[in-house]
Amino acid sequence: MAAPDARMGNRPDLLTAALFLGIGVLGLVMSGPLEFGSLASMGPGFMPRLVCVLLVGVGLAVGLSALRSPSEVIEAIRVRPLLVITVAIVGFAFAATHLGFVLASLWLIIAGSLADPGGRWRTTLLLAAGLTLFGALVFVYGLGVQVPLWPV
Amino acid sequence: MEFVDLLMLGFGEAMSPANLGFCLIGALLGTLIGVLPGIGPTATIAVLLPITFFLPPLAGIIMLAGIYYGAQYGGSTTAILVNLPGEASSVVTALDGYQMARQGRAGAALAIAALGSFFAGTVATFAIAIAGPTLSSFALSFGPAEYVSLMLFGLLAATILASGPVLKAIGMILFGLLLGMVGTDAETGAERLTFGALELFDGIDFIVIAIGVFGFAEIITNLERSGSEGVGVAPLTRLWPSREDFRASWGAVLRGTCVGTFLGLLPGGGATLASFSAYSLEKKVSRHPRKFGTGVPEGVAAPEAANNAAAQSSFIPLLTLGIPSNNMMAMMLSAFMIHGITPGPSVLTNQPEIFWGLVASMWIGNLLLVVINLPLIGLWVRLLTVPYRLLYPAILLFCCIGVYSMNNRIFDVVLAAGFGLLGYLFRKAKCEPGPLLLGFVLGPLLEANLRRTMLITQGDPSIFVERPISLVMLLATVVLLGLMILPSFRKTREEAFQEDEG
Repeated sequence: MAAPDARMGNRPDLLTAALFLGIGVLGLVMSGPLEFGSLASMGPGFMPRLVCVLLVGVGLAVGLSALRSPSEVIEAIRVRPLLVITVAIVGFAFAATHLGFVLASLWLIIAGSLADPGGRWRTTLLLAAGLTLFGALVFVYGLGVQVPLWPV
Repeated sequence: MEFVDLLMLGFGEAMSPANLGFCLIGALLGTLIGVLPGIGPTATIAVLLPITFFLPPLAGIIMLAGIYYGAQYGGSTTAILVNLPGEASSVVTALDGYQMARQGRAGAALAIAALGSFFAGTVATFAIAIAGPTLSSFALSFGPAEYVSLMLFGLLAATILASGPVLKAIGMILFGLLLGMVGTDAETGAERLTFGALELFDGIDFIVIAIGVFGFAEIITNLERSGSEGVGVAPLTRLWPSREDFRASWGAVLRGTCVGTFLGLLPGGGATLASFSAYSLEKKVSRHPRKFGTGVPEGVAAPEAANNAAAQSSFIPLLTLGIPSNNMMAMMLSAFMIHGITPGPSVLTNQPEIFWGLVASMWIGNLLLVVINLPLIGLWVRLLTVPYRLLYPAILLFCCIGVYSMNNRIFDVVLAAGFGLLGYLFRKAKCEPGPLLLGFVLGPLLEANLRRTMLITQGDPSIFVERPISLVMLLATVVLLGLMILPSFRKTREEAFQEDEG
């Protein structure tokens, strides 16, 4: 399918520019209170500010040339895997401390499996059980990762 | 002969049953991830890095190195049998390798790839053994000014030799540098860019970024591309290549080895660049360039030799100068750091068993790969039929445990999820995440050396041009920058990366 509009603008490059500019400006704001120092004795703010200014410069250069280049669209973003995977990981993190490794791992695999809708429940549950057992044996018992197995 | 003694020391270390075992595990794991599409070696090493915590330093490093070169082997197996390069550096191998397989010569192609890789690995290992001591005694004369110039050159060269737009790569390096500054400033104790979060006072862990950007973001992107199930595997035939195959490939192996060893040395010149370059060189010197892509053995031999040679020789700058030349080496650098070893010239003099043990293990690992992999090809191919749906939950779990086990805290896991999102955004923006790791690893070194230099000279930057080694590096950097701006160079560079990609 052709691009919906025939205007100029390379969207991936514009996104790049936005990311670089955003990060650069954020870094400048955050390193604002830090002492800049001089060349002979650089303060903690010297390098961060230098790098941020360069980053803003690069962001502007990418953005300006993107505006003048032929239109290109960003690949479609599929929300499902993005959201499901992120929620599964963050859920794992909180469950691991409060509910223990076993429940956290079961959550991670069952919730994470929803990112790909093609699976059957039976295989998912078997996979979750198997991987949790494997993880508990290898990492918690075998390698001594400090995490409770069950809710405390 | 001191050289022989040192080599014997290395083999003694590498041949201990435990180290031999970890070498084997690493090589097998590497082959496994090389075979399975959708998990890169960078992500795998990131996941396994925390586990090597529990191993002695040399064993851990031997295993990680094994994963790295093992992946080059595994990638070629799937490239040849199913036209599915498991790894970026095997993309060109698929061109002629898969055609050979379709003509019923899969076995010959696999054997050429394996033997060519082994030969290249042997040569590159010797290159490390020979160049190592010379380069590191040279590097001992480096002061902070030389290191600053060297790192500037390395960072810039890495962006130019890597594929993709140069400006974006520079931006990613700058972002990496910035991430490296998060935490408490080493000299003044001031807290920087921490959002006031206590957990960030010690800085961000390399693992958190690597697993977020390579592990999590890779899973999400892979899940977007559905329908990767059911691959057609070419039938396996007799393994031994014919005499004509040998005659056709030995020259290609030699040339590929040279190209690979050299490109592996350069910053940014990893295995991928080497295999692409070797393939185009082979096409240029060939008497029948038109036949390339239809299943000529040279088209398999050259890139396979080159990517393996480069995988090995890219260890040279890391081991002798302490400067990683690509993101895989950035991973290795942080692996060394975890074990309290700072790679660089002092390792050779203070801990020769580490350097020589690793070198010897690389050769042994390459031999193991040939011996174990040819008979196991059937098994690897069957693994390919495991659908991604069953694979990614396991990767997800290992990533989470890996990040958590670094510091035993959930904050890191959440932070890694955040970097996953960021990595995903950068992928959508068509920015390669590799240079970010390089910047992150080199950032603190660069800042510390720059501050030290300026402190010594009381703010006079002329030291950078007064010291000859530093001057040479800076001149090289300027030349590179100049080339970058020249439109004709930019055009050939783009063509070089586009060639053969179709």
